Amino acid sequence: MDSNKKYWKGLEELQQTPAFVENKKGEFAEPIPVEDVLNEAGLSTRTPRRDFLKALGFGLGAVTLAACNRTPVHKAVPYVIKPEEVTPGIPNFYASSFNGQSVLVRTREGRPISLTANPNSIGLNQGTDAITSAVVLDLYDMSKLQNPQLDGKDVDWSTLDKTVIDALNKAAAAGKQIAIVSNTVNSPTALAAIATFTAKYPTAVHIQVDAVSYSGIIEANRASFGKAVIPSYHFANANVVVSVAADFLGSWLAGEEHTQDYIRNRDYKSLKNGKMSRHIQFESGLSMTGSNADVRIAIKPSEEGAVLVSLYNAITGQSLAGGVSNKKAQTAITLAAKELTNNRGNALVVAGSNDVNIQLLANAINSALGAYGAIIDLDNYSKQFQGSDAAFQQFLSTAAAGQVGAAFFLNSNPVYDYVKANDVTNALSKIDFTLSFADRADETASTLKAIAPASSFLESWGDASAKEGYFTIVQPTINPVFNTRQAEQSLLVWAGDNTNIYDFVRKNWEENILAGTGKSWNEVLQLGFIYKGSSVGSSYTANVDVNAVANAIGTTSKTIVGDFELKLYESTVMRDGRYANNAFLQELPDPVSKVTWDNYAALNPRDAEKIGLGENGKVTVEANGYSVELPVVLQPGQALGTVSVAVGYGRTKVGKAGNNVGQNAYPFARLVNGSVQFEAKANVAKASGTYELAQTQTHHTIEGRNIIRETTFAKYLKDPNSESGRFADSHKTYDLWNKFESPGHKWVMAIDLNACTGCGSCIVACSVENNVPVVGRDEVRRRREMHWLRIDRYYTLETEGGRLTEEKEIAKASDYDYEDVTVVHQPMLCQHCDHAPCETVCPVLATVHSSEGLNHMAYNRCFGTRYCANNCPFKVRRFNWFNYWNDSRFDNYLNNEFTQLVLNPDVTTRSRGVMEKCSMCIQRIQGGKLQAKMENRKLRDGDVKMACQEACSANAIIFGDVNDPESEVSKALRNERVYYVLEEINVQPNIGYMTKVRNTFEA
Amino acid sequence: MRNISSVLGRLAKTVSVGMMLLFAVTMAHAQDVKEGETLFKSKCTTCHSVSRNMVGPALAGMSERHSEEWLLSWIKNSQALIASGDETAVQLFEDWNRLVMTSFTDLSDDQIKSIIAYVDAEGAKAAEGGGDAASGGAGSTQSSDANTLMIFGLIAIVVLVIIVIVVLNRVIRTLEKVIASNQAAIEAAQAENEAYEEDRFGKFARAFIRNKKLVGFSVLMLVAFLGVLGWNTMWNVGVHEGYQPVQPIKFSHQIHAGVNQIECQYCHGGAFKSKNASIPSANVCMNCHNTVTAADHYDGETSPEIAKIYRALDYDPATREYGDNPKPIEWVRIHNLPDFAYFNHSQHVSVAGVECQTCHGPIETMEEVYQYSPLTMKWCVDCHKTTEVNADNAYYDQLIEAHEKLKKGEKMTAAMIGGLECGKCHY
Repeated sequence: MDSNKKYWKGLEELQQTPAFVENKKGEFAEPIPVEDVLNEAGLSTRTPRRDFLKALGFGLGAVTLAACNRTPVHKAVPYVIKPEEVTPGIPNFYASSFNGQSVLVRTREGRPISLTANPNSIGLNQGTDAITSAVVLDLYDMSKLQNPQLDGKDVDWSTLDKTVIDALNKAAAAGKQIAIVSNTVNSPTALAAIATFTAKYPTAVHIQVDAVSYSGIIEANRASFGKAVIPSYHFANANVVVSVAADFLGSWLAGEEHTQDYIRNRDYKSLKNGKMSRHIQFESGLSMTGSNADVRIAIKPSEEGAVLVSLYNAITGQSLAGGVSNKKAQTAITLAAKELTNNRGNALVVAGSNDVNIQLLANAINSALGAYGAIIDLDNYSKQFQGSDAAFQQFLSTAAAGQVGAAFFLNSNPVYDYVKANDVTNALSKIDFTLSFADRADETASTLKAIAPASSFLESWGDASAKEGYFTIVQPTINPVFNTRQAEQSLLVWAGDNTNIYDFVRKNWEENILAGTGKSWNEVLQLGFIYKGSSVGSSYTANVDVNAVANAIGTTSKTIVGDFELKLYESTVMRDGRYANNAFLQELPDPVSKVTWDNYAALNPRDAEKIGLGENGKVTVEANGYSVELPVVLQPGQALGTVSVAVGYGRTKVGKAGNNVGQNAYPFARLVNGSVQFEAKANVAKASGTYELAQTQTHHTIEGRNIIRETTFAKYLKDPNSESGRFADSHKTYDLWNKFESPGHKWVMAIDLNACTGCGSCIVACSVENNVPVVGRDEVRRRREMHWLRIDRYYTLETEGGRLTEEKEIAKASDYDYEDVTVVHQPMLCQHCDHAPCETVCPVLATVHSSEGLNHMAYNRCFGTRYCANNCPFKVRRFNWFNYWNDSRFDNYLNNEFTQLVLNPDVTTRSRGVMEKCSMCIQRIQGGKLQAKMENRKLRDGDVKMACQEACSANAIIFGDVNDPESEVSKALRNERVYYVLEEINVQPNIGYMTKVRNTFEA
Repeated sequence: MRNISSVLGRLAKTVSVGMMLLFAVTMAHAQDVKEGETLFKSKCTTCHSVSRNMVGPALAGMSERHSEEWLLSWIKNSQALIASGDETAVQLFEDWNRLVMTSFTDLSDDQIKSIIAYVDAEGAKAAEGGGDAASGGAGSTQSSDANTLMIFGLIAIVVLVIIVIVVLNRVIRTLEKVIASNQAAIEAAQAENEAYEEDRFGKFARAFIRNKKLVGFSVLMLVAFLGVLGWNTMWNVGVHEGYQPVQPIKFSHQIHAGVNQIECQYCHGGAFKSKNASIPSANVCMNCHNTVTAADHYDGETSPEIAKIYRALDYDPATREYGDNPKPIEWVRIHNLPDFAYFNHSQHVSVAGVECQTCHGPIETMEEVYQYSPLTMKWCVDCHKTTEVNADNAYYDQLIEAHEKLKKGEKMTAAMIGGLECGKCHY
C-alpha cells in the first residue's frame, strides 16, 4: 500500500526549485567534465585534451618515480615497564562520569578513545547525548593552554600559587570579598574544596550562574513549595504531556533522561501493549521536541503565558484574565485540557520559560493535575542547574562598587554568555585580582590577570551529584597531557591544604557518601556510582496566587509584542556554547534545520517572503539595542511573526575550529523580574548580500520515493499492520540474483521510527568509533559530508482538512502559512542489502557481500569510480575527496599528531579517492566473535553492540543476529509495524524500520 | 640475505670460543678445579662472580681472607655461623645488607674445597689476565670481537696490497724496457690486426641486420625477458621475505627459545590474548637478567647486550637501584602488515591453535630474527583455504550448518565459514 502523504526534506524539494532539480538530476553532486574533454571542442576548453594527456603522462611518471623510494623503517617501541593492567591491543574500561552522567571511558594503550553510558547505571542516561559522545575529542584539543598564565605569559605553578596567595591575603586583609564564580557545581568534592577555601578566607563567597538559566523554576518552587530546587520530571509516568516551549527531549534540563523515559511510553514494546502517550507541544520555533510531538501548535513567545492561563482556566474551570486569543491554540487547549483532566495523576505540563510567573502558573496547573509525586519529584530533585541570576547580578554590583578583592571563574565565561557583557567587563576592571580556571584563554579568561588551567575530567579525580542521592565518581584515565592542575587541587593549595586531590576525594567519599551504604571505595571505582535516593517522591500542593501571577504574565507578555518576536533557544547540538571548539559537534546537523557550522535566523517562509528574502538571504536582527546580521533559514513550522536564533555560537576565543562560527545571540536576552529570559521584541530587516549555509537537508535525496510509513495510534489499535505497506504481502517477487545464504550469523538491525527523536547522538558516536573525518563548512556546502549515518528529516504539511495528497498539495502549496507541519525523523545508513545494487556495479569487486549478511567495503581495493554511490538507492555511500587525516587544509579539525590520538586503532583511516560507508561496526562484530571463541562459548545476544545503538537513549536502534530467533532484534522484526525501505525494488535490505505512529486528536 | 657483518661476527665468535677452549685445556691442571667449576656454575653464579660484586661479594681471594674451616661452615650454613656470634660472619652479614645466603648443607667438604680451588684458580687467572691486558699481551684476544678482528684484517690486507703493488711496479718497469726495444715490430703487427678485426665484426653485423627473422626473434626474446623480469619485480614490490634489520640489541631467539626453551608466551603474552603479539617490556627481561648477566662469557663483566637493558631501565647493577631516566628500546619492526589489513594474533594462536613457527619460521634457531613468510594476501588466503577450523570450540555449535558438517566428519576450512571475505580482514 502506498502512502498518500507527500514527504519533503526542504522547501526546495516541495517547490522543486531549479537548483534542487538540477542537483538531484546529476549523477554526481559535481559533474565531471568528461564530455567537454572528449568532444571536438575539447581542444578549446579550459582543460584541452592534449593538456589532459600531458598531465596524465607526467602524473604517471611522477608517481612511478615517487614510488621508487625505499620502504621506510618502522620502529616498534615497547613499554619500558608495562603497567600490569595494560595489554596492547585490548581496551580497558574505566567508570567515570561526565556532566553527572555515569559513563564508561574506553582507553587503548593508555589513551581515552570513547565514552559510552555505564550500562549498569540506574541514573540519567541509557545512552549518551551528542556532547558526551564527542567530548573525548576535547581532551586532544590543540587550542588548550599548556601552562598556567600570568598576564598572558606562561609561568610555573609555584609562581602562580605565590601570586594568587599574595592577592588573596591582600584581599582578606582589606576585608574585601573573594568571589568564586562558577556554573552549577554539584560535585561534593568540589564543594568540599570550596568550603576548605572559604574556611581559610572567610570573605569568600561562591556564586553559581548558568549561561542558560533555570532560576525561574527554582524561584517558582521556592514560592510554591518552599523548596528552591528543580524537580525531577518522570515522563515515563505521564500519559499526557503538554509542553509550552520546553524542548525537554533536547536541551531543557536533562534531555537524555527525559528521552529515555518519554520513549518508554511510545516505543515498540509499549505499542505492543496497546499503550502510547500523547504529547502536545506549543512553541514558536520548531524544536526537536516539537518535531516529535503528536500535536504541535505554533504560538508566539508572547503567547506562552496566555496558553498556560487558558489551560489553567480550562482545567480548573476558573476564568483568569489574559487567555490566548489564537484560534488554533484555543481549539488545541480545549482538547488538551480534556485529555489532561481525564488522565489526572498521569498528566504533566512543562513550561520552558525562565519567567518565575509562568513557572508558578505551571506549578498551579500541575498541582491541579496531581502531578507532584510520581511524575514531578521534588524529593529526588535535580541538581544539574542551581545557578542564580540574582546572585550574579548582586556580584556584579558589588564588584562595580570596588568591593571585590579577588574573583575566580570556574567553568564560567560571562564576558561571552552574560546578557550584558559591558557590565561584566566593567565589574572585572574594578576587581584587584582576577583568575580563570578555563582550559583555554577564552573570552573571559583572556581579559583576566591569571589563568590556572584546569585538567580535563578525563585527567582528574572528582565526582558529581546530578540528582539528590545519586553520586557518580570521576576517575582519571590518562595523566595530564599538559601542565594543568584540576581546579579543586588549586583551591586546596591556595587554602594552604596540601592534601593530594586523590586523598581528598577518597576521604570525602569514605566519610560523607559511602557511610552506611556498605560499599567500599574500590567498589565505587568499579561501579562508577552510588544511588541513595528514595523511590517515589511525596506529593505536594502548590500554593500560588494565580490571579496575581496571571496579571504579571500579562504585563510581561505585552513588553515583547511586536512585528517580530524573538525567541532564543539552545540548539540540541551546541547547547550553551561551552563545547564550541569540538569539530564533531560543529559538523553534526541540527536535528530540525539540518544546518551545520552556523547559527541562523529561523523565519517562517511566508514572513521571509514578505521581507523579500529567498534562499541564502541575510537579515539584520535587532533587539535590546543589540543587532547582528544572520543568514536566514526558511523554517516550516516557525510561528508567523517570530524569529528564532540559537545561542552558543559566535565564540571568538575558543579555538581553531569554533572561533567565529555564527553570531553571539546571548546579548539579545533580557533581564526581567531578576531572571534572564530568552524572549524579546525584535526588528527584522533584510540585509544586503547572501550567505550560503552548510545545510545538509537536501543532500542525498532519494527522489521523493516512498520510504516513510506513518499511521495514527487509533488506526494502529485497530490494525497493527496499519500503513506498514509491506510490499511482499501483496506482491510476488522474482529474483535475478542467487539467494544469499547466511548459515552462521545474519546481522540485521531494527529501527523504531517512533522512538527516534532525531537528536543525532548516534551520528557522533559513529564518527568517533569509525574514525569518520570532519570536513568543515566549505566541504559540507559541496555536499561532501562524510557521516556514515544520517538522520533524514521529512516534513508534511497539515491543514484543517487533514493531510493532502501529493498532487493537491503541490498545487495549493502557496495557500499555506507553513505553521502546521509534522515531522518524521528517519536514520538512514547502509541497508546492507542482500541484493545490493552497489555490489553489482563495482568494476573491481571492492564491495561484496558476506555470508553474515553484511555488505563489505574493501578500501584497499576501491579505486574510486563512485559507481556504487551512484547506484545506491539510499545514498549512503561517501567518497573521500581528500586525505582528511593528513592534509593541512583540514588543520582546523582533526589533522594534527596530537588530535589524532583520538582515533580508534581498530579501524583504518581511509585514504583519498575511496568510498566508505557504514560497516555495521564490523570491528565490534569480529571482536565479539573472537571473545566468544576465546571463552569457548556461543555468541550471546547483546555481546555485540553498534556504536549508534549504544549512544541511543531511546533504544531506537536494535542490532543483532536474526538467525537467533530469541534475539531482541528477531523479536523486534517480527513486529507488525516493520517494513523495509524500497522493498519493492527487491534489494532486500537487512535493516527493518517500524512505522511512525502519531497519537493525534482527530483519529 | 644475511649481511656480511653478521657472518664476520659469527666467525669472530668461533675464533674466540676456540681460543678459550685452548686456554682452558692448558690451564686445566687438577681434577678438583674442574669439578669445582661445574659446582660453581650450578650453585653459586646466581649470586656470585669470581671477580665482581653481585648479589654477594666477589669471591676471588676468599681463601686468603678466610680460613678453609670458616669457609666450610659459612657455605654450609651461614645463618648458624652468624647465630653463633662469629665476628667475621656477623660483619659480613651486616656489610651485605643482611642478605641471607642460601645454605648448602648438601655439599660435602670435598666439593666445597673443589669450589674454593676453582675460585682460587680463576682468581689467579683473572689477575694474570688483567696484567696481560695492561701490557697488551695475548690475553686480550679472548675478548676480541668482530670489530677488532676486522680492523686487524683490514690492516693486513692493506699491507699485503702495498707489497703486491711494489712488486708489480718492479715487473712493469722491467717489461717496459723490453717493449721499448721492440716498439717498431709491435706497431706493425697491431695495425694489421685492427684492420682484420673491424672487417670481421662489420660483416657479422651487416648479415645480422639483413636477417629480419633473426632481428625479430631477438627483439621478441628481449621483450619477453624484460617482461618476465618486470612482472616478477612488480609482484615482489612490498614483499620483504627475509627482511633482517639490525636490531638495537643483538637478541638471540636461538639462545632464549632454542637452548633455554623459554615458552614464547613468557615474553609475547599478547599473542595469546590480543591482536598484538607485543614485544616484552624491559621489566620482563629483568625477571631473568636481574641475575643472568652472561658474565662468564665476558670475563666477569656484564654482557654488553644485557647492559643495554640496564641502560634502558636506567638500572645500576652495582647498587641494584633503578634511576629515573629510563629510555625505551627502539626495536626495528620486522613484520610490517599494511594498515588496511587487520590481523589478530589471539584469533590464530589461541582459537585456531596455530604454532608460532607456522608463520614465523624456525624462530628457535634464529640468531637474529628475519621475516620468514612473505606476508602477502595470497599467503594468507592459501592457508585459510586449507586450514580446518578448530571444531572443539563451542562457538561453532552455533553455526548450524558448519556444525552439521563437522558432525558428519567433513572438512571445514576457515574459507568455508567466510574466512576469505574482504571484510574479515579489511575494515
